[in-house]
Amino acid sequence: MPSSENLIFGIFWSVVTIGAYLVARTIYGRWHHWALSPLLVAPLVVLAFALAAKVGYAPYIEGTHWLMLALGPATVAFALPIYEHRMMIRRHWPVLVIGVLVGSSIAMLSAWGLAAAFGLSDTLRLSLLPRSMSMPFALIVSGDIGGTPDLTAVFVVLTAVIGVAMGDVLLKWMPVRSSIARGSLFGMGAHGAGVAKASEIGGEEGSIAGLVMILSGVTNVLAAPLLVLILN
Amino acid sequence: MTVFSTITRKVRTQVQNSRVAQVALLAAMWFVGNQISHGLGLPFPGAIVGLGLMLALLLSGWVRPRSVQRGARFLIGEMLLFFVPAVLAVMDHSEWLSITGLKLFAAVLIGTIAVMLGTALAVDLSYRWWVRHAVL
Repeated sequence: MPSSENLIFGIFWSVVTIGAYLVARTIYGRWHHWALSPLLVAPLVVLAFALAAKVGYAPYIEGTHWLMLALGPATVAFALPIYEHRMMIRRHWPVLVIGVLVGSSIAMLSAWGLAAAFGLSDTLRLSLLPRSMSMPFALIVSGDIGGTPDLTAVFVVLTAVIGVAMGDVLLKWMPVRSSIARGSLFGMGAHGAGVAKASEIGGEEGSIAGLVMILSGVTNVLAAPLLVLILN
Repeated sequence: MTVFSTITRKVRTQVQNSRVAQVALLAAMWFVGNQISHGLGLPFPGAIVGLGLMLALLLSGWVRPRSVQRGARFLIGEMLLFFVPAVLAVMDHSEWLSITGLKLFAAVLIGTIAVMLGTALAVDLSYRWWVRHAVL
């Protein structure tokens, strides 16, 4: 039975989290810079509150994890963009399949190799593997392969912020002529934030980025049982 | 039959105007997906089954895109709010303020550059090949 004290605690931190999110969104709406991304600002604002109140992660997540339940319906909602862009999939499917497979393989292999090269622990290494996927898919895969979903969440956010910042730089000196390749670069490398970035470059880039993000997420979740076999 | 179609039409109009109803519809699909996933012992979660079901309903025309558009855009657009709690896990890891944090940062930085370069290169090359060979 949750005591009324726990309930008030949960409501308080949920309000702080929602408030921090709204503030972060407003800030980004005014100053459009990657370093002010809501991905960074929202968690940092909540972190400042939690540190000031000397509240640890365990009680915080107990009071706010209900927000994460919405990730389930949000995953179902990905059916809509797939449906809306079904002609694009029909037209470009061989190229999209190659992008998803090559991108996912590099993401996993690079995470594995770099974690080994840097001597990171097994938990960190497994939690790093799904970092290039969109959050709901990454959390599922992380749990499946024995990583820690909470740690994966941190790496997914870090990947998005770094990806958006690096994507611009890479496109400046890389001879990428097709919009489908530019979209794939952002959708595979920086998932949700990358899709937003790609949409600023062009409509087709944005659609491709969204498709690559969703298709690679679904592919990776379906392939996770296979991945577990390989890892064991 | 006409009564039935009148009711369906009324429900459809209601749903097409309400974001809350659409979010509820997507949540219901998630629930059904979970039941199927658990019931059949599938190796992937209900959210993925629900995504597949939703896509099937859209493709078959049973559910019109307008009946889920507002709800779907809301859930996808505000997704960050739903995962902020998980990101706060970082507060349990003050040890990342040391060399470990630097290694993690480097791993993500190098890895992400590799993913972007590799993906863009593979897609660009295969797209050009495909344009040259597939158009007859």
